[in-house]
Amino acid sequence: MNEISRPTLTRRAMLAATAATLTIPKAYAQSPAEVKVGLLVPLSGLYARPGAVMKMGGEMAVDHINKAGGVKALGGAKLKLVLLDCGDTVEKAKNAAQRMVAQEPDLVVASAAYLSSFTLAVTEVTERAQLPVLTLSYSDLITDRGFKYVFQTSATAASQARQSLPLLMKLAQSASGKLPKTVAIITDNTGSSIASAKAMREGLLKENGLDLVMDETFTPPLSDATPLIQKVRAVKPDLLFFLPTVISDGKLVLEKMNEFGLSQGRVPTISFGIAIAEPDILQTINPSLLQGVITCVGSWATKGHEELIAELKTRYNEPWMTQNAISTYGDMWLIKDALEKAGKADKAAVAEALRTMDGGPSKYYPGGILKFDDKGRRVDAEMTVVQWQNGIPVTIFPQKLAMAEPLWPKR
Amino acid sequence: MTSQIIENVLQALMAGLLAGAIYGLMCVGLGLIFGVMRVINFAQGDFMMLGMYVAYYLFLSAGIQTAFGSVIGPYVAILLSAPLLFLFGYWIHKLLIARVTGRRTAQLEGDGHFAQLILTLGVALVLQNGGLIVFGSVLASIRTPLSASAWEIGPLWNDDLVSVFINKARGIAALISIAAMIGLTALITRTRMGKALRAAADNPVAATYMGIDIDKSHRLAFGIGAAVTAVAGGLLATNYPFHPYIGIDYVIVMYAGVVLGGMGSITGAFWGGMTIGLVQQLSTLVLPTQLQNAAIFVVFLLIIFLRPQGFFGHVVERT
Repeated sequence: MNEISRPTLTRRAMLAATAATLTIPKAYAQSPAEVKVGLLVPLSGLYARPGAVMKMGGEMAVDHINKAGGVKALGGAKLKLVLLDCGDTVEKAKNAAQRMVAQEPDLVVASAAYLSSFTLAVTEVTERAQLPVLTLSYSDLITDRGFKYVFQTSATAASQARQSLPLLMKLAQSASGKLPKTVAIITDNTGSSIASAKAMREGLLKENGLDLVMDETFTPPLSDATPLIQKVRAVKPDLLFFLPTVISDGKLVLEKMNEFGLSQGRVPTISFGIAIAEPDILQTINPSLLQGVITCVGSWATKGHEELIAELKTRYNEPWMTQNAISTYGDMWLIKDALEKAGKADKAAVAEALRTMDGGPSKYYPGGILKFDDKGRRVDAEMTVVQWQNGIPVTIFPQKLAMAEPLWPKR
Repeated sequence: MTSQIIENVLQALMAGLLAGAIYGLMCVGLGLIFGVMRVINFAQGDFMMLGMYVAYYLFLSAGIQTAFGSVIGPYVAILLSAPLLFLFGYWIHKLLIARVTGRRTAQLEGDGHFAQLILTLGVALVLQNGGLIVFGSVLASIRTPLSASAWEIGPLWNDDLVSVFINKARGIAALISIAAMIGLTALITRTRMGKALRAAADNPVAATYMGIDIDKSHRLAFGIGAAVTAVAGGLLATNYPFHPYIGIDYVIVMYAGVVLGGMGSITGAFWGGMTIGLVQQLSTLVLPTQLQNAAIFVVFLLIIFLRPQGFFGHVVERT
């Protein structure tokens, strides 16, 4: 009878088997690794409030993404928001970006940095570190430098001015029966305001039949708006284009307009940027002075975002959803889509995924699609026009997303 | 055209006087601390910020708005904030500043100035970041209908162009600032306490021989300086929104005002602040608005070049 050879259980085999069994429960219990996403925004200083609102939008999105199962292509990996304070000056923003790339080598992508001037400085650093950055900042310069790792989700400042001016002229004509002929510009000297004003001066105003009768640039924050509004009073323009980035400047200018008898539609004020529609302005000014004030912004919570607006209200006590919240919310979802496409938590792969993405219609940014052109600008990005009506800024354009009909301020 | 130029000049002059009066009061507060005690207080702007928040919360939460309304109420709250900030300044001096000033400074390098710099910078950072934690980043403002309305003087000519507008909130703030400055000058020049403060400033050793408690005098000066700047902050808060970092914007203005006016002079500090307000507003008549703060420092350098001791300062030699 042949002996049947049986495997012998050696001590070595026992040890190997024990080691293997020890790893099995670990393998099952281990959750997929987290993916670190940076949010570099001002959390201290003059711009701390917009930064805090961007944080709210980012946190909400990360919670929603993680609750929905995380990044499926990475085995359900959860997103982890890494908050970084970029302070209130360009210098601090640049230093914060340097700290971010040095101290957080695991970051695969970031969203930054509110003010265009900050974003310009931050992306100088992140470009060298080849870290992809999404931004809501407007300045055309951000994506005019040939950088490969910056992706602008808002329409650029020049594009916003180009889109909004014909619309505003039409609105003025339909409400007052005549086209405005003269315009005054009061702008601060931050990146996005300068870019918008530059596009207007270099042809847009002329294209729209407007004669620039006063043009003043100031350094924010203003200490007193008297010299500026005295000049408006002297030239009495048909329209005032006001481009602030600091809420206190909005208050000072609007109150001074009232003081000099120029408010209530006498000189209709059109703002560019978010400052004048931030909830905080209500803490500082009588709401009646805001009635009818229009502002053109890169993004705003519109029709279709009702649930997000309600959640922001209950979770953070924010009365409405500004660009800072909705755009940062959208950034996190865009990052998630890029991670799904990249299939790995690697900054180069995520950057490539963003460059080659074709994600269809955009849900959280106005108009256009989730696709970036060669410069890193979102293709066909539109903007929103928001107007203060009864103490709340509501979207009045684009029409398909509008939450209210526009009113033209009348004297 | 001529009438337009006249109106622009008058309006800028008025805006400069109104802003200058508040700057002047801020400078007086620092003038007491920097000019009299020679303490380089980087936290002075943050004392102003505290004054703004104390007045704000007194106005909103302590029932002052309900009791006095939105026109009188802010000024009641501002006046009540002064004793609170006096106590704050008094204790900050007793607990911290006294360790690097007064009699002890003789043992320290650079008469304690290095330690004072670092200490007050530290206090400033604690107040700014503590303010952000306690008060939050939401912009605050003592809301009064006066801030958006004006007294109109004019028309001064037949054509109705030449009018001068005086913002009501700034106008009242300017009057209170002038009254506070006069009161403080009387306190310093006409009372026994004022005499003791001046003696402690002029010659601490001789003052000690005369039985004056130098440390107590410095504590009082520090407390009064903090309270005066806080009142200026409260007055500013009736027409200007604020946040925990607002002090940084104003501390440079305060130092420039004190140096312009002449160190050690309360009246000088006020006129130094007034000059800054006037230059800031009048410069917009001939320069782009974004250069108005640069204009302040060009004029500052010019005045310091021509009169290094400032408007009211004296050239003295200490033995």
